[in-house]
Amino acid sequence: MPTYIAKRLLAAIPVILGLSIIVFLVMKLIPGDPAQALLGSYATPDNVARINRALGLDRSWPEQYVIWIGNLLQGDFGRSYILNRPVIDEVLERFGATLILAGASLVICSVLGILAGIVSAVRQFGWTDRIVTFFVLIGISMPAFFLGLVFILFFAVQWRLLPASGMYAVYGGGDLPDLLRHLILPASTLAIVATGVVARLTRAAMLEVLRQDFIRTARAKGLSENKVIYRHAFRAALVSIIPVLGIQAGFVLGGAVYIETVFQWPGLGQMLVKAVSTRDLLLVQGGVLVAATVYVLVNLLADVAQALLDPRLKA
Amino acid sequence: MIRTWKGLAPLLLAATALALVSPAMAQTPPNVLVVGQIAEPASLDPNVSTAANDFRIAVNIYDGLVRNTPGTLEIEPALATDWTISEDGLEYTFNLREGVAFHDGTPFNAEAVKFNFDRMLKEDHPFASTGPFPLAFFFSSVKDVEVVDDLTVKFTLNEPFAPFMSNLASPTGLIVSPAAVEQYGADYGRHPVGTGPFKFEEWQSNTSVVASRNDAYWDGAPSLEAVIFRPITDANTRVAEMLSGGIDVLLETPPDNVAQFRNDANYQVVEAVGPHVWYVMLNAKDGPFADKRVRQAVNYAVNKESLVNDVLQGTADVSAGPIPPAFNWAYNEDVAPYPYDPEKAKALLAEAGAEGAKLTFLVTEGGSGMLDPVPMGTAIQADLAAVGLDVEIKTYEWNTFLSEVNPGLEGKGDMAEMAWMTSDPDTLPFLTLRTAAFPAEGGFNSSYYSNPEVDALLDKARLSTDPAERGELYKEVQAITHEDAPWLFVANWKQNAVVTSAVGDFELQPDFSLVLRDVTKQ
Amino acid sequence: MTDLTTPAPARKRRSNLQLLLANRLAAAGLFIFGFIVILALLAPILPIPNPDITDQPNRLLPPLSEGHLLGTDHLGRDILSRLIWGTQVSLLVGVSATALAAFFGSLIGLVAGYARGATDSVLMRFVDMLMAFPYILLAIAIVAALGPGLLNALYAIALVNIPFFARNIRGVTVSIRNREFVDAARLSGKSHAAVLFTEVLPNVLPVIVITMSTTVGWMILETAGLSFLGLGAQPPTSDLGSMLGQARAQLFTAPHASIIPGIMIFVLVMSINLLGDGVRDVLDPRLRSGTLGRPMPVTRIKRSAKPSLTLPEPPALVVENLSTGFDTGGSITPAVNNIGFRLDKGECLGLIGESGSGKSVTALSLMGLVASPPGVITNGGVYIGGKDVLSLREQELIALRGARVAYVFQDPLTTLHPLFSVGDQIAEAVLTHNPIGKRRARQRAIELMDTVGIRDASGRASAYPHELSGGQRQRIGIAMALANDPDIIIADEPTTALDVTVQARILELLQNLRRERGLALLLITHDFGVVAEVCDRVAVMKNGEIVEQGETQTVLRDPQHDYTKRLIACVPELGEGRNFLDRVRPLFPEAKA
Repeated sequence: MPTYIAKRLLAAIPVILGLSIIVFLVMKLIPGDPAQALLGSYATPDNVARINRALGLDRSWPEQYVIWIGNLLQGDFGRSYILNRPVIDEVLERFGATLILAGASLVICSVLGILAGIVSAVRQFGWTDRIVTFFVLIGISMPAFFLGLVFILFFAVQWRLLPASGMYAVYGGGDLPDLLRHLILPASTLAIVATGVVARLTRAAMLEVLRQDFIRTARAKGLSENKVIYRHAFRAALVSIIPVLGIQAGFVLGGAVYIETVFQWPGLGQMLVKAVSTRDLLLVQGGVLVAATVYVLVNLLADVAQALLDPRLKA
Repeated sequence: MIRTWKGLAPLLLAATALALVSPAMAQTPPNVLVVGQIAEPASLDPNVSTAANDFRIAVNIYDGLVRNTPGTLEIEPALATDWTISEDGLEYTFNLREGVAFHDGTPFNAEAVKFNFDRMLKEDHPFASTGPFPLAFFFSSVKDVEVVDDLTVKFTLNEPFAPFMSNLASPTGLIVSPAAVEQYGADYGRHPVGTGPFKFEEWQSNTSVVASRNDAYWDGAPSLEAVIFRPITDANTRVAEMLSGGIDVLLETPPDNVAQFRNDANYQVVEAVGPHVWYVMLNAKDGPFADKRVRQAVNYAVNKESLVNDVLQGTADVSAGPIPPAFNWAYNEDVAPYPYDPEKAKALLAEAGAEGAKLTFLVTEGGSGMLDPVPMGTAIQADLAAVGLDVEIKTYEWNTFLSEVNPGLEGKGDMAEMAWMTSDPDTLPFLTLRTAAFPAEGGFNSSYYSNPEVDALLDKARLSTDPAERGELYKEVQAITHEDAPWLFVANWKQNAVVTSAVGDFELQPDFSLVLRDVTKQ
Repeated sequence: MTDLTTPAPARKRRSNLQLLLANRLAAAGLFIFGFIVILALLAPILPIPNPDITDQPNRLLPPLSEGHLLGTDHLGRDILSRLIWGTQVSLLVGVSATALAAFFGSLIGLVAGYARGATDSVLMRFVDMLMAFPYILLAIAIVAALGPGLLNALYAIALVNIPFFARNIRGVTVSIRNREFVDAARLSGKSHAAVLFTEVLPNVLPVIVITMSTTVGWMILETAGLSFLGLGAQPPTSDLGSMLGQARAQLFTAPHASIIPGIMIFVLVMSINLLGDGVRDVLDPRLRSGTLGRPMPVTRIKRSAKPSLTLPEPPALVVENLSTGFDTGGSITPAVNNIGFRLDKGECLGLIGESGSGKSVTALSLMGLVASPPGVITNGGVYIGGKDVLSLREQELIALRGARVAYVFQDPLTTLHPLFSVGDQIAEAVLTHNPIGKRRARQRAIELMDTVGIRDASGRASAYPHELSGGQRQRIGIAMALANDPDIIIADEPTTALDVTVQARILELLQNLRRERGLALLLITHDFGVVAEVCDRVAVMKNGEIVEQGETQTVLRDPQHDYTKRLIACVPELGEGRNFLDRVRPLFPEAKA
């Protein structure tokens, strides 16, 4: 297993390196530069040149990239042009927020999605199945950004049950219940689509597994139906559900951009969108690097979990 | 096992939900003002920062040598008690206020002033690396800053520069603590130290900036115990926070929500006209707008009353020319905005042979002072369609937009939205309407308006140190440019804020800053 | 995967649509989607106002205002009109983006999956890169670089969705490329491109269609998302996302302006998803044949007549008039008809017949293990210890399984749970009927493994099925059956999957156990050789019926039924060689030599 993990990590390096080159090129191809973002209406050529000199952006592209990579290898992500602080500070702070949001959504979508999928498979064609299927369809058909707005409209503005935005109350908050209260709306909005996908997949996987010979064996042993479903069938279905959870993690991270915008969640997605619009190259690089690494790690984790669950894959 | 869990789950969920939901919306604490800002500040180093949003915090932490008298754009003493300007307009000597200390305890003196301006202007200054200082060019005419004695400082300019005093009163002229810059270096922007009415306490990224009362403030300690600035980028969310009681002050209320707050006794709507101009530049070099009649025609064709009253819901006034009325001493009352007259527009178009012309209109999605640019652009497009002009809109995200527009419209489009907020009537016309400000010359005259008469007037006004004389010159500029119609003149923004009824003495300033030293809260 | 296209195309086309319409949800989806598409197409001739005419004084009128059925937006434009025109745009972009992504994604997937090796690695690393990039950010960056406009948004959405297709199609291609027909095409001298596009592609096509039908909805959502962020249609053109995005500023003052396009997006995507699910169900053969139904714990029992509940002086097992069929949507196709036999304590009955003769269904029917749906027991009784088990309540029947009646199944690789160690699986069988605690159950499992002749039982107990040989696995199956000292063991082709020497040993084991424990053994097989060796009596099945039954020796010596004769003849004798074929051929007149 350790060799396998090491191999996978090694294979990820060129992917991430390639990604950083793409990010670099795309950011350079987008018109405008950080100096202009800083100067706004005052971006005269003189002023722009002065700022670019101060930021080291007057060098050639390859030179800039090599300098960045060189610093990165020494653990230095550089300084954000616009935010006047080290990239790593900003990225880690933002990433922490996104991790909480995406993590909560992932938990919601895994638990709810798997439960709904199992119930729906077990009661196949029954009314529970129909209701679950219908809700799953609603989930995967619902524009998340729209749902977020509707949630704010009702839960925060009309009924004043939950905060409209942010991660902590401005005054007096800052503890866990406060965080949870702020988390409910964005996390559930973000989880909606993923829950639908997971529920669908779980249902299909369970139905597939329930048809297998070893389920008949379990029944022939006289196992109660609950044991057949939750111990034998679910365990086997989980093997094909886990990698999908890994992919969903990617989607949840990506979808966080909308949700963070709508709910003002101070996460990585919101930061990246803003960093792109202010041409804050190093910040974009840092953010994408972290997001991509997490994506790779989550998928690796999913594969490892799958291998741990399925002894056939250990070899 | 599963059975018990099934039974418990709904109970557990309900209990959790109750625990989380039941504490009613926390109200903001007494005597602490919570301000809903439009974005996370980039830096609280006033010399580094460029955003109005950051300046709203900075002006409460720092003082400049001079400041605008509340409610006007006139200059009054601040850290300088008085000053003299030499006859030739090249030497400004300031006497500094005695006994003022920065929040870190270090004294404010002439050395501190020199440190501030040298840091910004001299690339070899030991702390030049704490920049960049994008707006340092406000003071690019400064040749030298000299410490005469501990409380006297003298600025020597390269050439006479009339807007110098207004620029000193702008946030870029706020004075930072040299000791703090030395201590924090490049991270000074997150550890601001000034002399202002509020002391910086803490900055939680993306959550809040907290400043507390400076009891030793030279102009009298403020009534508020503390101010919390909270970044809420999304306008709707900002409104939602206001409605749910999370903030006391709501800045830049979306036009459609203003009426809602106006009709609610729990809130007060505060407005102030500012030196802001929202216009559409018209490409005078190539295409139909090279003809003055076509430019005038669009000024007649667009229903600006409807734009400001319906689209902007009365949060702006119709504009008549490049000088906004907020500069009352330089504003020409005799120049009235173009009336809405589509028939006259059609006649002018026919005269110029430009009926049915195809035009390209560059529109931005947002940007400082841009006031709902997409709906505005779309409404203008529809009005122009009504007089037979076929307008194609291209929208760009703000930075892309600037890099499209700033190098000049030639070959890219016929019209482009633009907005400016300035601290001196000189800035906007000087940068955008002179022949010497064509993009090729390094200016922002992206629509290539050129009138030697206007060029001469602007050059003269810049060198004059007599406000009355300057005022007359700008009035003349206003009259000529109104007639020449280099732009489609649209709106002057009335900035607005909503505060709860508990907040007292809250005023918005014409210079777009947010002065909280006199504000109270029950 | 070839199965996907096997049914005759001519009949299939008609039945596909029928199948689709038979699915009520899919039909509803089709109806709504069709309605929306027609409305969008008719936009130019519908009596609706020009969507771009502004009328600021009448802005944000609520729905049902005069002249504006759905009210007006922030510029006084008619929302209904903009909604219809906007739907047209959103649909067009969503569908085109899907087509683009499907084309390039499938191409990458096909080439990567077919070529393997370095090409595969390079292409898939590229796909990995796209996937690791936060997808909305990628789209935003692309739009920022290419400039605004729907077309660029379309490219961006297509690009970020390529990985989805590439991965799916590659997986399918990999599984197809080594199939015989592909090899054959290659050997016949076709070029790689020709093989790829004439042999592989047609078999992958249904997967592409399924993937497309399930992604269109998602793509429309993403288009709307980008437009919502302001990166889509240029004013005054409306698309659903930008309508929502622009009206968002008035969310609190005029919620209808954003809620209406929001609901429209939702309804559109929902109808597409319903339809997409229907298409998937129709095209996916497993879903179509209903074989993905979830089997119930006990076979459905719907007997035409109630048999008597008990029998006097019962042998171990009596089966009377047992009929089992398969429900094929309304009518029941019989699989087993009026079967009857008995089995005494310590006796071995062989149930023999060719595959499809109904012998396995018979075996599974005894304990209600026929997968249901579609299985139904339509008649008869099964008496164990004199009581009809089919009349028992579900729980009681389940309690009998593994306790008094145990099964040994054919292929131990698929019939053992792949993820539990064999020791655990045996221990579980023990614990189910006899809660003696985990440790003792484990102990008992090792004893049982010892009993069935597994060497180093305590060591092998923690092995997983895939780590054992076929013979060992079957021994585990037998150990599991023995766990609770059952009266009856039903062995369904227990040796068929094994090679000959192992076969002999397993049969020997079963024989010994039967003698030692006085077990009744019902042995299902297709091999008269096995019957001759093991069984006291034999019942011969054909087409779901028992055609002959009797003492093994009697039947072997003097088969009454033609079918029995053939079966007996089919047992090759040692050293017979080619003569076997000559001997057997006359028995099968229908098989042309």
